[in-house]
Parts: sequence; structure tokens; C-alpha cells
Amino acid sequence: MSQYTELQLDALRELANIGSGTASTALSGLLGRPVDISVPKAEALPFAEAVEAAGDAEAEITGIVLGLIGDMNGTVLLLVPPPDADKLCRMLGVEPDDEFALSALGEIGNIVGSSYINALASMTGMEIEPTPPATATDFLGAIVETVLAGAAMNGDVALMLDSNLVVEREDCSISFLLVPDQGGVDLLLSRLGLA
Amino acid sequence: MAALETMVRMGELAVSSAPGHKLVSLGLGSCIGLALLDRRMGIAGLAHIVLPQSQGHAQDNPRKFADLAIPEMLSELEGIGAHRIRLEAVLVGGAAMFAVAAAGLEVGQRNEEAVRDILRSVRIPVVATATGGTRGRTIRVDVASSEVTVREAGGKDSELLAGSRTLEVAA
Repeated sequence: MSQYTELQLDALRELANIGSGTASTALSGLLGRPVDISVPKAEALPFAEAVEAAGDAEAEITGIVLGLIGDMNGTVLLLVPPPDADKLCRMLGVEPDDEFALSALGEIGNIVGSSYINALASMTGMEIEPTPPATATDFLGAIVETVLAGAAMNGDVALMLDSNLVVEREDCSISFLLVPDQGGVDLLLSRLGLA
Repeated sequence: MAALETMVRMGELAVSSAPGHKLVSLGLGSCIGLALLDRRMGIAGLAHIVLPQSQGHAQDNPRKFADLAIPEMLSELEGIGAHRIRLEAVLVGGAAMFAVAAAGLEVGQRNEEAVRDILRSVRIPVVATATGGTRGRTIRVDVASSEVTVREAGGKDSELLAGSRTLEVAA
């Protein structure tokens, strides 16, 4: 399957909505501050366009990536502009240039990603486990295409479930992307009765 | 001098013989930007390769695989007058973006190996590289002069392959 119907995309959007709601609650608990979520997007795009949809390819961004293994393989990617990553560190009481800054960000990724995935898994009755987080600050294009390359073997279309988590009154936002492998999307849709 | 730039995005390739034209891939991570240059004719091609082998996958877009993209680029280059015997290769990308690689993310290294193997089999020399490591890169190829520049995140364009003017007039 390389094309999704509007009904399927709506269902995936609703899954993303519930997943990111759970993730925002977890982030809010971690930071001790209220966190808002945007209405998530679900887009099925050819790879070349998917990178462009994520933003300016040469913009510097901090990416936190978690692999997904189990009934559905794929990747969770959190994208944070470097100034916002610094703010997140400070909210956790870690200075951005501290040696623990990257592991603090990794931990945010771990908690936000895991809560999203757990919500998704329990809704669909799938067993999905996240792998430990890895972090990099680099060109947005380089980070996003490397994640998409992991899903490129079995298809030419990337399904991206995109949510935005905004920490209130801190002008700090995290873009959350779930990129399931092709087989994972089909399974997800079949569990929803929409395959 | 404002050059016309063609963006060669993930899984795409482009060839050109137009003076003043640049072929560009922005933000290469584990992907390889492979430039093939016929300096004498002022012809260049750029492929944005995503994965090493197609492994028999029937795909809508074969250009994302090294083993299918390179032969296609060769035939397109020859189609606009390049000579295979004169082609030189420049490789950029193939990084390991994430220090703790999740499954499959070490694909950058496998991409570079695959591209080098294929170039060896078609006897095209690799004359310059900016590959491996952990940083993303942008490649720019000036078609007329064969100049290739590379830029890492937070850095400036640096010359990877010096450009030269062709003085011969195509017959």
C-alpha cells in the first residue's frame, strides 16, 4: 500500500492526537509546567517531499531519535530548535553546556516517546518497545533523511504523524514525528479495521 | 553571480550541461551525494542515494538505490554527451548521524561501500570525498567548471574539488 485514503489518514490523525495527549501529560509532569498540543497532522508524502515538509533542510536542529521494535517497527523523532533545547535543559536544572545536557534531552525524548508509543500500543493491542534514545544537533535535512532512510527499503512514501508540544509561557516547542515502516502502517490500519 | 540551482532531493538524480547551473543536495545525512563529472565537456550529474542495494525490490523509484541509480545516471550523462572514460566521481555524505545507532541507522557506511564498489566495477575514479563521521553535509556541484563544494552544519562552503574552465569549444 502506498496511498492512504482520507478516512485512513483521519484515523491515524486521531491515534496521533491521543498519543500526543498522553505524551504532553508526561512532559508536563517531567517539567512541572503545563504543556499544550497542536492538532496533529498525518501526511503520506514521497520521501523527497517529506524532508521538505519537516522544514528548512539547512536549519540547525536538535533531533532525539528512538527506534521502535515489536509488532510495528519504525522511528520516533523529536525535533527541537537549539534555543528551545537549551530551555528544556534549564527547566530540568541542567545547564545547556553541561556534559549531561544531551542525556537530559535524551531522557525527555525517552519519556515523551515512550508514553506516546505506550498509548498507541494499548489502543491497537500491539506490542511495541522503544529502543534507547540517541541525540544529534545538525542540519534538519540530514537528521530527517537519515530517519526516513530506515523506512525507505519497503516503500517510496513516508507516513509522518506530526504533533507539536508547546511548553506554556516558555516559548518552547517540540515537534514530534512518528515514522512507521510500511508494514507497520498496514498493521496499524488493520487493527483499526481500516486496512 | 546568481547561479540557477537544481535541488536533488532524497532518491532523486539530475544531469546537466548548462553553464551557470548548479546541482545541489541539502543536508545529506546517511545518504550519499554522488557527483559524476566530465570536466572537458562541462557536464555533471548528481544522485542523492538513500540505500545501498535494491535487493530485487520492485519499486516506483529505483533512483534511491545505489545499484540502480548509478547505471541510470551513467546513461543519462552519456545521453547529453558525457564520455564514460573521462568521468570522475566525488562522494559526500554517508554519515552516522546518531552516536547510539538504532537498528539500521548505520546505513551511511554501507551506502559509501556500495557506491565505491559500483564505481570500481565501471572504472570511474573517486577523486574527492567528504564522507563518514557524524555530521550532515550539503553538496554543490558547478556544472560548467566541475567545482564541488561541501558545507557542514554551522560551517561555510569549502572547496572539495577545484573547478577548471574548459577552453575547448564543443565541435
